[in-house]
Amino acid sequence: MAKYQANKILIIGMAGGLAQLTAKRIIKGNPLCKIIGIDNRPLNTKLPSTRVHFIKLRYTRGDFERLFREHSFDTIIHLGRISHANLESSNSLSRRLDLNLIGTKRILDLAEKFDIKKIIFLSTYHVYGALSDNPVFITEDYPLRASIKYPELRDVVELDQMTCSWMWKNQTSREMVILRPCSIIGPTIQNAMSRYLRGNWLPVCMDFNPMFQFIHEADMAKVIQFSLENIPLGVYNVAPEDVISIKEARKHLKLNSIPLPSLAMEQSLKAAKFFWKEIPEYLIDYIKHSCIIDASELKALLPKGFYQYNVRNSLEHLKN
Amino acid sequence: MLKILKNILITKRQSDFFDKTFRFFQKKYPSGEDAWGLHLKNARKNMEIVYPIYKNYFKVRLFGKENVKDRPYVVISNHTGQIAIDGMLIATAFATEIKPPRILRAMVERFFTKLPFLNTWAAEGGAVLGDRQNCLNLLKRGESVLVFPEGVKGVAKSTSDYYQLQNFTRGFFRIALQTKTPILPIAVIGAEETFPWVYQAKSLAKMLKLPALPLSLNYFPLPSPIDIHIGQEFSLPEEVSEDATDEVIDQYINQIKNQISQMTQKGLKKRRPFFANTNQEKQ
Repeated sequence: MAKYQANKILIIGMAGGLAQLTAKRIIKGNPLCKIIGIDNRPLNTKLPSTRVHFIKLRYTRGDFERLFREHSFDTIIHLGRISHANLESSNSLSRRLDLNLIGTKRILDLAEKFDIKKIIFLSTYHVYGALSDNPVFITEDYPLRASIKYPELRDVVELDQMTCSWMWKNQTSREMVILRPCSIIGPTIQNAMSRYLRGNWLPVCMDFNPMFQFIHEADMAKVIQFSLENIPLGVYNVAPEDVISIKEARKHLKLNSIPLPSLAMEQSLKAAKFFWKEIPEYLIDYIKHSCIIDASELKALLPKGFYQYNVRNSLEHLKN
Repeated sequence: MLKILKNILITKRQSDFFDKTFRFFQKKYPSGEDAWGLHLKNARKNMEIVYPIYKNYFKVRLFGKENVKDRPYVVISNHTGQIAIDGMLIATAFATEIKPPRILRAMVERFFTKLPFLNTWAAEGGAVLGDRQNCLNLLKRGESVLVFPEGVKGVAKSTSDYYQLQNFTRGFFRIALQTKTPILPIAVIGAEETFPWVYQAKSLAKMLKLPALPLSLNYFPLPSPIDIHIGQEFSLPEEVSEDATDEVIDQYINQIKNQISQMTQKGLKKRRPFFANTNQEKQ
């Protein structure tokens, strides 16, 4: 397959650590490429190159379409899903659902209108849900059961499904790669799992010990860059080979944990919300039951020895 | 507490033996864990508790070791004893008495994976959710799986039905065909008498939405001596596809069922005396 050469890329969610790592990699590997990064959050770090520009913008606003008119983008990397890790109230939950769903619909409509050639969409393994009857090694065609219990995950599933149907509808004219990575961790990542693995004196289920796959942020950025250039249209789970149980992971990080029976977990979290802000309610299921994904589809397309970090190295970097 | 118990129960010789066995397992599972929740350190701790029970309480005898070769198997067994103690004993036998030792991946019922503590304890010792995908993935990775094709019906029997094989499900045979893994039949004798007098309150269990509701004179297993008989491997028919009709599959399943049934009858004749051996004349 011929390598895809992007000329002008729009990265959504540029203020995030993963987006910046990805931009850095792309710029380094493609000397002709230019990047416009947008985010509604301010950018707190230096941009990696003069070929990368940042615009503070919300992608639901009218200015967003103007951006497409002014820049002839051929590629979009959508890393801008608003995380459920930072929820403060049910009001912000409904606002976020709208922003994620309506916003992404808008991005997809504009991609069609302005003839975007390739889109990378970052979904998550959370779409499969952490359930007691999950098989080990969930393949991409497995039902998305995440939202059964938690509305916080409803948009995650709907977003994934919406982009999937768009991908198949436009498969002859546009390439889309949907990535469903396992938990991304690293020094710059601020998702719920990274916080849980950084936090001391957080609860663990004393009666369950699920297995986890973790991918280092640098490896994830590498996967996004590789997907942009070499991976054909499709949905791919992303995870390195090795796994670790949650208790071992916290032990490896030398964190103190408070063992609680799973039945008391939900109530304890509600009662101690102020101290345990790191744990959104939906995360309880993920620290109770395994959700191990099968990444063999993507692995078959990656060069041998692609991942730089094993699970323990990735955790080490979280420590720092 | 567990350490004190371990020192009482485990001799120096047995401890050395576990060292050797778990060094072997460590080579197979270098990180000490696997995706299904196996945890070698905890598996060893559990083994140090279970092995004395296996050896001294149930006085397990293993027959037919020579039938096990160094390759993956779909191990299938009759299911007896109300609380599925047979699975734990078969797994212990394969980890301690078979050469090379192996961690048998016992397939457990869906409800089991929801049970606090028990689910982790079982997973750390190698048990996995009895799911088709799990089974295929394990066999592809060279593991042996332990399946009870009678399901819950096998354990949840009243005394009058002891040692009578219930209907076998077909899934294990189709998976064996798909992965070209030979089947190793096993008959367990003696586990039924750990709970010798049981009446299954089936209607009440249905009302309470429980998989079974045994009414027994004892709710702690009695020390019935247990024999595990490993039969000769059942070679898979080359001409049958995994998608063959149920009628075709059933012919082979009946052959396997008959093999286990015959092993059970022979085993019953050979078993050691125990005051609760009430079903000697039954098949």
